[in-house]
Amino acid sequence: MKVETRLFVYLGLLYIPVGTVYGFMTKWNEPLGFLALYLTGGMSLMIGAYLAYTAKHIDARPEDDPLGEIHQGAGEYGVFAPYSWWPMPLGLAAACVFAGLAAGWWLFIIGVPLAAVALIGWVFEYYRGEFAH
Amino acid sequence: MATASIVDNAPGSPIHATVNRPNMVQVGTIVWLASELMFFAGLFAMYFTIRAVLPDVWAENTELLNIPFSTANTINLVLSSVWCQMGVFAAERFQPAAKGPWWTPWTREHGLKNWGMREWYVLTYIAGALFVAGQVYEYAKLISEGLTLSSSGYGSVFYMTTGFHGLHVTGGLIAFLLIIARSYMARRFGHAEATSAIVTSYYWHFVDVVWIGLFLVIYVLK
Repeated sequence: MKVETRLFVYLGLLYIPVGTVYGFMTKWNEPLGFLALYLTGGMSLMIGAYLAYTAKHIDARPEDDPLGEIHQGAGEYGVFAPYSWWPMPLGLAAACVFAGLAAGWWLFIIGVPLAAVALIGWVFEYYRGEFAH
Repeated sequence: MATASIVDNAPGSPIHATVNRPNMVQVGTIVWLASELMFFAGLFAMYFTIRAVLPDVWAENTELLNIPFSTANTINLVLSSVWCQMGVFAAERFQPAAKGPWWTPWTREHGLKNWGMREWYVLTYIAGALFVAGQVYEYAKLISEGLTLSSSGYGSVFYMTTGFHGLHVTGGLIAFLLIIARSYMARRFGHAEATSAIVTSYYWHFVDVVWIGLFLVIYVLK
């Protein structure tokens, strides 16, 4: 995962000196730019550091091998729902909640229990019924 | 539960070759948290901009802050990250619940591995709930002293920054409840449960670090 790691770490290492240069050019009187640039560096370094950490704990991936073959990537990728209806009611309920913030609290109050039902339905979809594990 | 099927007999690959890959949920969570960092960057930028424009409003209003109280609240939140990490260690050894008595994290027999993920996460939840309660108390106190969202530029940025952080903590508390409930619902506490426990801890640590930044800026730097 060297390419991904380097991409983010180099970006992070770029933004921090750029933020410092920006600070000096504005004589540190402009409070926004240098802060935003530093934190952009932080954002990139955060992802880069995590990728470096992950790379240490896993085997070299087929993607990292210039002579890798597609089939070497076969295997378990994670746990995925074959299909699920729950995101739709959750999305509608969330829309209701946020529209409630703008339009009126009555809509918000209707949305919150709907969102709770949809969220719990989604989180526990594979903990009950046919696919319970 | 559907998983991408394991192709054991793909041509040319050794039998039982499962590539140990980065966990998609964990990498995705980190990328999302990086974008959350930029959300809080916007809030910090707002704070510093308005502070630069209204220095005397700051001098007048920061005196209202109760520093000892917020320091205690901060220490509580930082400690909750420690409890959370202990829960992660339990989840990583696929231990959902306490081996021995539930009321003590340490026993002679099991050492510090007595508590499972559930007990540590309940402790984290209690600490997080105390933090939010402390915030509510602090808000009530400040509002009674005349500092409100609309009283001044300082009031606006104070409640916006700490309030959005408080909403994040509340969201984390809801996530902890769901994770704890999952540890009861799962017949076998496996990788899927451990992964969701671990990404919740990433979120919790992130929100904790953001609070340290907010605390330094709002309560220490003023």
